[in-house]
Amino acid sequence: MNQTIVYPERRRLGRYVARSLFLWLCFLPLALIVVVPVLYMISMAFTLEANQMKFPIEWIPNPPTLSNFQKIFVDPQLPIVRWFINSLLVATVGTAIIVFLSSLSGYAFARLEFPGKGFLFSLLIFSLMIPSAVTLIPAFLLLRDLKLLNTYHAIWWPAAASVTGIFLMRQHFFSIPGELEDAARVDGASRFRIYWQICLPLVRGAMVALFIFAFLGLWNDLFWPLIVLSERAALTLPVGLLVIQQGSYIQRGLAFAGAFIASMPVLIFYAIFQRKIIAGIVTAGLAGR
Amino acid sequence: MATSTLSSSRTAAAQNQRWKRLRKQLPNYLFILPHFFFFSVFLLYPIFRGLQISLYDWKIMLKDQAFIGLANYQALLQDKIFWQTLSNTAYFTALTVVMNVLLALFVATGLKHPFIGSNFLRVLFYAPGILSVSVLGIIGIRVWDTQIGILNYFITTMLGGPRIAWLGNPDMVIPALAVTTVWWTFGFPMLVFIAGMHNIPEPLYEAAKIDGAGPLQTFRHITLPLLMPTMLFVVVTQFIAHMQVFAQPYIITGGGPGNASRSATMYLYETAWKFFRFGYASSISVVLALIMIVVTVILFTLMRRRTEY
Repeated sequence: MNQTIVYPERRRLGRYVARSLFLWLCFLPLALIVVVPVLYMISMAFTLEANQMKFPIEWIPNPPTLSNFQKIFVDPQLPIVRWFINSLLVATVGTAIIVFLSSLSGYAFARLEFPGKGFLFSLLIFSLMIPSAVTLIPAFLLLRDLKLLNTYHAIWWPAAASVTGIFLMRQHFFSIPGELEDAARVDGASRFRIYWQICLPLVRGAMVALFIFAFLGLWNDLFWPLIVLSERAALTLPVGLLVIQQGSYIQRGLAFAGAFIASMPVLIFYAIFQRKIIAGIVTAGLAGR
Repeated sequence: MATSTLSSSRTAAAQNQRWKRLRKQLPNYLFILPHFFFFSVFLLYPIFRGLQISLYDWKIMLKDQAFIGLANYQALLQDKIFWQTLSNTAYFTALTVVMNVLLALFVATGLKHPFIGSNFLRVLFYAPGILSVSVLGIIGIRVWDTQIGILNYFITTMLGGPRIAWLGNPDMVIPALAVTTVWWTFGFPMLVFIAGMHNIPEPLYEAAKIDGAGPLQTFRHITLPLLMPTMLFVVVTQFIAHMQVFAQPYIITGGGPGNASRSATMYLYETAWKFFRFGYASSISVVLALIMIVVTVILFTLMRRRTEY
């Protein structure tokens, strides 16, 4: 306190700038390590197939080319537009299901009474301990028996079983004052209306956080789609990228063009909504605690 | 007699009331019903079903599966590849978790207080986590490539060193995959640590400053102990996530050279979906799960003890 009075404001500003410079010096190498591989991917997406193997690396494509993208879009074996739409549908609908079901259950566990509540909740906590490795095979066999492999359902409904969103929503429903519900109840509102019209709007922030978290998870997931989707037209982008990268498609430029198409939309989205996304990831990511 | 009728009528009334309350509470189940349906079908039931399948010589084409008791588990004990993939996975997980925690702590300490561009750096450092693991794999292949890789480019052109066969060397391949994974995932523990550090009361730091404590001492005696609950959360979630590593070795190395980088989950995947031995694969998953649960519980008790002071 005393220091701010004794020393002029300029001195503090100087220290702030000096500290900033020092920390940038510390973090610049790390920042480069983070950025360079991504720039490399972008650069290679626009590099001719013939120049892909050049060493020393040609960092700026010479000449820049769209041929990799053209090859992907023309090849009927690589329906990347279809994969993009699949990914979008899988992620948006799946996320909507997760957010809705989690808010319903989270509301019940926070604000409603019913016999067996404690037991059911501890069942959810117990399930966090079980690694997904155990459920993979039986869930796959079940979906096969239901003839749901290679459909969106094979991803939506197992995702609907996820529990972390419930913990997040429950925490936030706890913080709503009970008087609000009481007042609504006196006015004769039904249980569902109280949940839908009074409480849900008050936890909008948590819902956005969960939406971001779940969407990124579904959009980027590889393992489960790899297991339940095998037909070319049914794949999501991450699985499609593997098809491009492996198999007969060892053309290097194609893989980078595909990676570019898959990652640019999310990176741009991230750049625009970074504050919301980071806040959402911290909120939702810590919910399982 | 009078008292007994009175008490029985009272219990009847109480019962009546309890019944009434139950009837009033019954619709509340509707709120949890939708999730609970999918939770039962895709989580609870598969746990028990998985245990059951592991007792069969389960082949996907057959109509009747042969019950073989614990034979899968006996075979697993003898399975050298399984033990190697398990030790690969443990090594990978230990490396990744330790590097992730150290790097995230270091970065979080630097970014805790705002400076010019600190928010930009925070956003940048989390950015790789936004990428799909498939994209990570496509980039990773070229980072470590012996002939045209990014790393060998810098080593040969800037340091004048020789080309290193990162992924061809059985001793180097797992550390390389771990570094790749740290590049991809250190942003999340960083964000969590920053949030945790902001929860430490500022007066503690002021008091330490008055007592003449340097930055290292403050970190050691204030930040670190008070960050223990956050640390527990980070270590446990990171452990569970990285023990199930699949895509990084699957895409970048294919498990090679030999089996040097094959992970347990990759072995499970191949056993089930390449060789269609679902029974044996189930026994792998059960053993993997048991190991993870035991280690998680040990981690919890170990770190809980250090948290309580």
